[in-house]
Amino acid sequence: MRKAWLVIVVLAACGRGLEPEPICAPSLVGLCGTVHFSGTIPDSTDNVFVAAYVTFPQTCNDLIQNRRPVIPGSVPYTDSIAAYSVELTPGAYHWVLAVWKKTGNLTLTAADTALLRVAGYYRDPADSTQVGMVTVPNGAAAGDIDFRVNFDSLRPATDFVTCTAQ
Amino acid sequence: MHRAIATLLLVAAPLSAAAQGVLRGTVRSTQGDLLVGASIAIPGTTLSTRTDRQGMYRILLVPAGSVRVHAGAIGHAFVDTTVALTGGDSTTLDFTLRPEPLALPPVDVVSDRVPHFGERPATTVAQVSERDISRRAVTTVDEAIDHVAGVQFVNGQVNLRGSTGYVQGLNSRVLMTVDGVPMNQGDRGGINWDLLSVDDIESVEILKGAGSSLYGSAAFGGVVNVTTRDIPTGLHTRVRLTGGMYADPPHEIWKFRDTPGLLGSGDFAASYGTDTWGGRISAGDRHSDGYREQDQDDHLHFAGKARWQPSVNTRVDVSGAWAVDRYDVPLTWCSRGNCDDRGQVFQPFMIDTIDRGARTDSRKGYVAAQVRTTVSPQFAWSARASWLRTHFVDVRYPTSEFGVGDRFGAEGRIEAHPAPTRTVIVGVEATYSDVTSDIFGIHSQSEFAAYGQSEQQVSAVRVSGGARVDFLAVDGGSLTAVVSPRVAATLNGKGAGTWRASVGRGFRSPTMAERFVSTTALGFRVIPNPTLRPETGWSFEIGHTSAPIFRFMRLDAAVFWTEARDLIEPQLLRFPPDTTLPIDSVKIQLQNVVRARIAGIDASVIAAPIPDRLIATLGYTFLDTRRRLAGDTTEGPLAFRPRHLVTLGADYSIGAGSVGADFRYVSRPESVELEGFVDSRRVAVKVLDLRAEWRRGPVELRVLAANVLNYIYNLVPETLAPVRTITVTAVWSH
Repeated sequence: MRKAWLVIVVLAACGRGLEPEPICAPSLVGLCGTVHFSGTIPDSTDNVFVAAYVTFPQTCNDLIQNRRPVIPGSVPYTDSIAAYSVELTPGAYHWVLAVWKKTGNLTLTAADTALLRVAGYYRDPADSTQVGMVTVPNGAAAGDIDFRVNFDSLRPATDFVTCTAQ
Repeated sequence: MHRAIATLLLVAAPLSAAAQGVLRGTVRSTQGDLLVGASIAIPGTTLSTRTDRQGMYRILLVPAGSVRVHAGAIGHAFVDTTVALTGGDSTTLDFTLRPEPLALPPVDVVSDRVPHFGERPATTVAQVSERDISRRAVTTVDEAIDHVAGVQFVNGQVNLRGSTGYVQGLNSRVLMTVDGVPMNQGDRGGINWDLLSVDDIESVEILKGAGSSLYGSAAFGGVVNVTTRDIPTGLHTRVRLTGGMYADPPHEIWKFRDTPGLLGSGDFAASYGTDTWGGRISAGDRHSDGYREQDQDDHLHFAGKARWQPSVNTRVDVSGAWAVDRYDVPLTWCSRGNCDDRGQVFQPFMIDTIDRGARTDSRKGYVAAQVRTTVSPQFAWSARASWLRTHFVDVRYPTSEFGVGDRFGAEGRIEAHPAPTRTVIVGVEATYSDVTSDIFGIHSQSEFAAYGQSEQQVSAVRVSGGARVDFLAVDGGSLTAVVSPRVAATLNGKGAGTWRASVGRGFRSPTMAERFVSTTALGFRVIPNPTLRPETGWSFEIGHTSAPIFRFMRLDAAVFWTEARDLIEPQLLRFPPDTTLPIDSVKIQLQNVVRARIAGIDASVIAAPIPDRLIATLGYTFLDTRRRLAGDTTEGPLAFRPRHLVTLGADYSIGAGSVGADFRYVSRPESVELEGFVDSRRVAVKVLDLRAEWRRGPVELRVLAANVLNYIYNLVPETLAPVRTITVTAVWSH
């Protein structure tokens, strides 16, 4: 029985239960916020990631080459809401969006647009019909950059940029 | 047939007074203390009683001649003796029982609906005594049984070996009875754990395993039987005062108020009794600020009980209770952006701003009457009638909901002992439930049942078999019949302990709430399903209770297995199903869609390494659950069923004082309902309680530090479980 009580000490010492989870880590330089998901997740889903552009891309080539970060991390998409953070260099970003990616390997060429869909983008808080601009301050993060992603209305890149034949 | 009728008439015939005597006496421990609540029985007959507050007992109608008498008490070794009784005479037989911390519970009334004295039940039964309840310094029944091995509460819903899972307020696969009277709500099938104060409770028995063959629907996963205090002779009063405080959140960023939350309660009970009648009333009031935002709770209750013995062989009991609650409803915790989240992904102590002002007004009460007549030592009959009423108003944004439910029950039962080694029980039961509600509609449900069971002792083996047939009708429609058979056996191996085995079929009829609910939950429409069928399952159990090991330890272990069909579980649906519609078209409906298996091991060890000083307990339950959707070959675990439950407890006594600790570990459930649509955060439960007690004369003082490590956890998504709570309780009883 003494061993049993030793087990108590071990179990009690391991893990501290629920802990605070800041959306934006204090050391982060970049963007952070939450993504609200709705709709039916397509079977071909590989992941969802957040990307930013210093200027609004004009072509498919811009879409791939000017993306920040170039190799994005994924956001958990199976829950109705997920927090995310993205490291970016300080400065203004004119398009910040959530991107859906279907299964398949990216090549970092314009051909990648066949695997990608615009799932949602940050909107101007004053006019939600317009794209919002985000400024990443020096040595800090821009918070509250939230998205709504509806898996039932994913949009192809050609809705936003002009793509020449690949 | 003629022989059976003749046998029945023979055992039912009352004996002449000249052939009967009265057995009376006292029961003491070897230290000379009078033992209250000790069981005295004439095995193989209908005759039994318990000692009163003076440690005295009296059994009438004892047949003259050489009579075997059994005496037992919690924490003491039982005594079997034989006494010669003269007809028409009164014989005194005093007992002295030796303290035995490893002693098994002296009586089991829940497993077969007739008392068994000094015998192990064929299905696992756990008992929580009055002493256990007082030592834990708890205030409600659910808190009293929360530490029993294999028992887990999930937001007020009880799980026995993973039976129920969690569906907020719509069902229970466990039946609660109070003194044998079913007390599950008529409309929702749930259990009102706060209807009775723990001051009114003498003991709680928990039958772990399907009990439908005797108890019918709702006993699919087991039975919790609450035995209320009997009314002793003389005048007795009891006052209990409790005050306490909730801990602040362990992290400053979670802090939501400037002053600590408080709680307090006061309870009063008084009783007066003579040999022929007695009455008891009790009342209590409780207030809690709650441990999180919008969590205030006010509770008021009254209870009463009366007994009357109009003749030497008949006893009438009438009891009732009424409780009024008004409690804030914290609903789910605040997720990012839905309150002042202070830059946090979630704020577990806060609620979404839209939920502010949500509260529930609840009123519930019951009245029950029972009569038992011991016609002869071989024959007794009993009957009962009961009425349980519940009324709730959920004040929510943007609309409120209400429901009024009734459950009327009646039962007649015959207990016969045609031979000293044989017991037969037969009964009929009728239940009528109705509901008037804006979310459940206006409906009624009728249930009629007949059951029978026979037990036979053959050498060291006790074999029992029986069945129950239930007929169900909703809104006066056609009847659905369900048959629930069960066979069981126990083998008393003397020095090798006791083996038990049982197999039985359980069932649960859908509650009216499950069939007809139409509301909104977690942002989804919940739609009715009037075509729900009863869920059924076969349960198997093999168990062993060891003899004392190394003189200071006893082991009880069981392997259990339930194969269930048509389990009623919430499902996410799209309407119509063959179209692709936006998320708004997704609805929740309760459906018979699951085949399920619940299997596992349930083991407990009690040890008394320092006799009279230290008692330690260890309980472990392993659960392996699977469910398979209709038309789908993939399997996954049942929602809200943890794989591992561990309970540890220890009590050390010194003179008038004692200290104790309880630790509870519950592994993180692998699955929850609506996974993907709710916050997936959930952690294992690791809760340590510390307590101390001091008794002198009529005064008891207790201190309880529940969740002393202030471990922050949740049992269901987005709902915070209680934080560290320190309470001080003072009891004066006379």
